[in-house]
Amino acid sequence: MEPAKLESLLRQLREVVGDRYAFADPYEMRLYQYDASPETALPDIVVIPGTSQEVAQIVKICAGAKVAVTARSAASSLAGGTVPVEHGVVVTFARMDQILEIDIDNLRAVVQPGVVNLALSQALKPHGYYYVPDPSSQGACTIGGNVGTNAGGPHTLLYGVTVNHVTGLEVAMPSGELVQVGGRKAAEATGYDLTGLLVGSEGTMGIVTRVWVKIQPLPPAQKTLMAVYPDVETASNAVSAIVRTGILPAAIEMMDKLSIQAIEAASHAGYPLDAGAVLLLEVDGTPDLAEELGQRMSTVCRENGASEVRVARNEAERQALWKGRKGAFSAMGRLSSDFYVMDGVVPRTKLPDTLAKIDAISARTGYKICNVFHAGDGNLHPLVLFDAFKAGQYEDVLRIGDEILKLCADAGGSVTGEHGIGLEKRENIRYVFSDEDLEVMDRVRRVFDPNRLMNPGKVFPAERLEAAGLEQPTSNPRRRAAAVGAGDEMWV
Amino acid sequence: MGIEARVKALPGHQISVQQQQLMRVDGLLPSKVMRPEDADEAAEGLRLCDLVPAAVIVWGGGTQIRLGSVPGRYDIAFSTEGMARLLEYEPADLTCRVEAGMRLTDLEATLAAQGQRLPLDPPHPQRATVGGMIAANANGLGRARYGTVRDWVIGIAVAYPSGKVARAGGKVVKNVAGYDLMKLHIGALGTLGVVAEVNFKVQARPEAQATVLGHFDAALPAIGVATGLAHQYLAPSAAILLDRHVLWACGLTADWRWTLALKLEGYAREVDAARELAVRSVREAGGRVEGQDIPAAFWNAARDWSAPAEEVVLLRAVTPLLRLPALVAAIPGDAQTLSQPASGIVDLRVPPASAAIALERLRGAAAGEGQVVVMSAPGSVKPALDVWGPPPPGFPIMRALKQALDPSGILNPGRFVGGI
Repeated sequence: MEPAKLESLLRQLREVVGDRYAFADPYEMRLYQYDASPETALPDIVVIPGTSQEVAQIVKICAGAKVAVTARSAASSLAGGTVPVEHGVVVTFARMDQILEIDIDNLRAVVQPGVVNLALSQALKPHGYYYVPDPSSQGACTIGGNVGTNAGGPHTLLYGVTVNHVTGLEVAMPSGELVQVGGRKAAEATGYDLTGLLVGSEGTMGIVTRVWVKIQPLPPAQKTLMAVYPDVETASNAVSAIVRTGILPAAIEMMDKLSIQAIEAASHAGYPLDAGAVLLLEVDGTPDLAEELGQRMSTVCRENGASEVRVARNEAERQALWKGRKGAFSAMGRLSSDFYVMDGVVPRTKLPDTLAKIDAISARTGYKICNVFHAGDGNLHPLVLFDAFKAGQYEDVLRIGDEILKLCADAGGSVTGEHGIGLEKRENIRYVFSDEDLEVMDRVRRVFDPNRLMNPGKVFPAERLEAAGLEQPTSNPRRRAAAVGAGDEMWV
Repeated sequence: MGIEARVKALPGHQISVQQQQLMRVDGLLPSKVMRPEDADEAAEGLRLCDLVPAAVIVWGGGTQIRLGSVPGRYDIAFSTEGMARLLEYEPADLTCRVEAGMRLTDLEATLAAQGQRLPLDPPHPQRATVGGMIAANANGLGRARYGTVRDWVIGIAVAYPSGKVARAGGKVVKNVAGYDLMKLHIGALGTLGVVAEVNFKVQARPEAQATVLGHFDAALPAIGVATGLAHQYLAPSAAILLDRHVLWACGLTADWRWTLALKLEGYAREVDAARELAVRSVREAGGRVEGQDIPAAFWNAARDWSAPAEEVVLLRAVTPLLRLPALVAAIPGDAQTLSQPASGIVDLRVPPASAAIALERLRGAAAGEGQVVVMSAPGSVKPALDVWGPPPPGFPIMRALKQALDPSGILNPGRFVGGI
């Protein structure tokens, strides 16, 4: 951005939020150039608004100046969704982190976008309620970010993802208006379901400034069990066998041999080191029912090839089993200095075949690939291990990732289950959608954002943006030399 | 050539006087019927209509066709009956893909053969189609527990007036690729495109089911029981409050003014515990628990009671749970009601003569935190009623979406919110 324009914009933004909360110092802004993907781009200005009205004013000022605006919270997404690839202004929600209302009577809560996911459930717990979607990053990721990506988590198998639990939104539109859409406290509103459309739109239609969510009573009891298998194929077939019995667990997670070794080295969750695959299963219910379903699932697991089934006898044992799974990604540092994570989905019945094909890719290319994933809904998270300091490895790994996503799409699945298309997969979206499909989506987008200023450069293929006569991203994202490594900031 | 002549020149079937009457909407008659055989044919048909431009009203089973304002124009009855195939079904994946014209009972039978179901129960499933359920966002009585149409649709193929078919979502239950256009079409009353194919997620049929009836002298304690149970882990899958007349219409009789019917579903052990809890809650609130066996036909009749019908003024009020008592206090004495307190929904049938007053009173009681919609009304009173109420926040965007996807305004013109 030209210095004069930058200065003028910064001055206007400071008038809205105060001097302290708008800055353009490249050193200070470095924190805001990345998410959990390998992509980075530095914004021109970072703003930290304190109210919805301030967000609306920021958006209006940026729209007037034709400057891109990207919303960002915890930035735990894997797809580059919050990387400001066209620079401009990054709006971040550290100061908008209040739970505005816990409305037990109406089974609702109202939160600001910067509220950390887990903080909401912790605040609800004394009342006996919780907010269901639980991304593995729930200790860090925010409700605003969850809305942006329509985030999932292990327990979405039974209860649905973010969109199933959001009833209304307040949104700063590109016009600078603040609009409340959806049923908010009532079950529904008249008109088109803009709430449903906005959830998962990755900040490309407006910026969410307030969220109405459903809350529900905590299950009285849970039963968690771990089943040990010789290989992922047997474990995958066991998952299908459980589903056939009519039991729908609240969560079914799978870890393969490599992952188990990394997890055990890091967190001693008690997974057997010689196992080919481990399933983590959880059911909700009354104490009697959870016990009964736990027994029934144990039997099915054993009948379908489990060499061992271990049932958590108390909350401490349950937490230990989950600790391994939720810390799986940070544990990967034990195996490799760098790794690249995918977020593909296949129909559950295609799991064995897909995992075998991923294995074949690993054997062919020589790169180790770990699998830790939501087996119940077929949401795979293959991790390709590599060394960023060896020439050519990063490029190899990107190609492998691309091949894996194609495989998922060809199996009737999707190129993203919970992290979004973002920047990284905007070409891969073609594996699942035709030009006609994307054309309609683009038309819908332009209704909200005719000048393409809201989180530009995301979701749609670059070529499609060009064909539409829209400006190309002003810079190629500078790939970080080392993809995000074994930091604590990674979860899926 | 005038519009009439150009409509006449469109492909499609000429229509007999009798058929014309059957496909009447709020007193308007179509000139022609189009019956596409698949999504591409549907898109081509729409493209030709768009060139005229000819006003299109999409017909599934017609169970929700009364919903909406009086159409601005009606040239073509666009029937989905030629698109009723099961396209894919993999029971182990708990997903299926069907054409929009499929009857709900046909889908239900296919799923039941594998011990599965779609836990949505809109009225008249033997006539209602998948596409109609989506367009009207027609939900049954199980919404507090199982959610609504938007929670079960995972993918969609839509024919647009541009002549193109475009998809969104997919076949897998977890998928965030691209925009969730399913949400845009659910409840849009066919004003943005014609839904041609739908992907659903489905679930296993529950192991056990039971019904508890609680009779009450007054509505408020019964509402208290229903909303109280909604706060329990063992919440009923349906909780409906019927007045004496509606109970009778559903095939049961009682000497009490109000009856709360609770449907309990799930694993056998869960249903036992839920039944115990339900009975205790009814008794503690001063209600009388009925022991007699409840015929399955009761729940079907209750489900169908809230269907729009040409001869009936049917209103639906939706409010936050806490506002229900205020809403109930505003119910006119001559109304019949069936409500779903755990979802904040009250359905009322009122005499045509008092419809306008009832509507005004209920909208006052909902006071901005809810909405009251006219689900159906006889042609004699409908034009005088504000079917949707004031346009919702975000309406300018809704109008712009309509403009973007149906620029000539051929789809169900004038019937939706704010005259869309």
